[in-house]
Amino acid sequence: MTARLSAADRRRPTPWDLLVAVLVVGAAVALLFFLRQESGNFLSARVVLDGETIAQYNLTTLTEPVTLEVDDAPYPLTIQAEHGRIRIVESSCPGQDCVHTGWASRAGQQLICLPNRLVIALEGETSEGIDAVTG
Amino acid sequence: MKRLISFLLAPLFFLLPGCGAQEAEEQFFSMDTVMSIHAYGSGAAEAAAAARREVEALDSQLSRTKADSLISQLNAHAGDGTDVALDTDTARLLAFSKSISQLLPGDFDITIAPVMDAWGFTGENRHVPDSETLSAAMALVGSEGLSVDEAAGTARLERAGMAVDLGAVAKGYAAAKAEEALREAGITSALLDLGRNITAIGPKTDGTAWRVGVADPENDSQYLCILSLEDQTASTSGGYERYFEENGVRYHHIIDPETGYPADSGLKSVTVISADHLLADALSTALFVAGPEEALEFWRSRDDFELVLCTGENQLLVTEGLEAGFTFTGEELGYDCQIIRR
Repeated sequence: MTARLSAADRRRPTPWDLLVAVLVVGAAVALLFFLRQESGNFLSARVVLDGETIAQYNLTTLTEPVTLEVDDAPYPLTIQAEHGRIRIVESSCPGQDCVHTGWASRAGQQLICLPNRLVIALEGETSEGIDAVTG
Repeated sequence: MKRLISFLLAPLFFLLPGCGAQEAEEQFFSMDTVMSIHAYGSGAAEAAAAARREVEALDSQLSRTKADSLISQLNAHAGDGTDVALDTDTARLLAFSKSISQLLPGDFDITIAPVMDAWGFTGENRHVPDSETLSAAMALVGSEGLSVDEAAGTARLERAGMAVDLGAVAKGYAAAKAEEALREAGITSALLDLGRNITAIGPKTDGTAWRVGVADPENDSQYLCILSLEDQTASTSGGYERYFEENGVRYHHIIDPETGYPADSGLKSVTVISADHLLADALSTALFVAGPEEALEFWRSRDDFELVLCTGENQLLVTEGLEAGFTFTGEELGYDCQIIRR
């Protein structure tokens, strides 16, 4: 009877090596898939007043609605954020274009109040891989 | 074992060149809208800053709300017989605008400014003007009353009270000037968003075309379709971005030069795609006023632009030149899509 060889001495891979390789590759693929899912779902909103970020929300993890009163804007306005979306709910600006836009819920979308020089930018990965929006 | 290590490290060599890529963004308010310039490649930051300066310099000459701009001077001298001295850009833009008025009579006129003012779209108080105010303003509209001498670099408004507003062309011209500045700085890949007029410069750094969504006029979070753009501008006009309501009626800001009222031509939005950035900007406004039949007829007469028309009946009419690289995403939103052939 020959003595059993240690792993270091063996030249040929055994079925166990193959199993380990399959498990490692499988785990890597699962991890990659999981990470992609995460980045695809992630959505945040940055509120910028005249070039300065005044608030930031992670819309993906918000569970309760949040209200932000921007009283120091030239035309005070109210922003409402909730899970997955954000809007300018009220504004004392003359045109009301920002309120008319309604909810924003997609990465790359912007809510703009021109008289206030206020931009709410939604950031995250778009499912369609869109680089910009016209219209 | 060595082989295994080199096998595992191999992907790093493909990733490393990406670390050297430069990317820069400039976001700013200009021409009464929000703009952003994304530039890629060596020297991106300086190039994007130079492009921004071009746009801002243009705005300071073309704005009619800035008292010392060339356009304000032209408007201030309306009817007094003065040939107002302009710079090359302003003279060129006025001459171009007049040519669009001649190509599409009744659909486009930069002398519409007094009517915009009557509706309050220039200032803060938007309202339906009384008929007397409106007809007085309408009497001042007509680009035959604007004389431009491009060679001499001068222009004149013939009647007192006349005024020009370059809102329908300024962003397109700004895109062309910004592109010039970026290319001079050696940039071959950039994306300009000048108030949702999108200009794609070159392809993306990975060599593929830029993907640009066309917003649903009913819901800004949704897209009607996705376009593939390279060295082109996509400019959209619609009545849904600037409007007001009075007595339950919605009035938007794109005024029909023939009626003096917001255009009602059966279109919700018009997107023009062209390698000529200025043309794309001007035509989106003109063809929104013109309506679907005239827009398609005009498209058939030329070969330098393509169209996405969103009709009041929720139909998307897409001209055949866009077919490659086009994705229709409006089905779930209740839209039909039709490819229009020549």
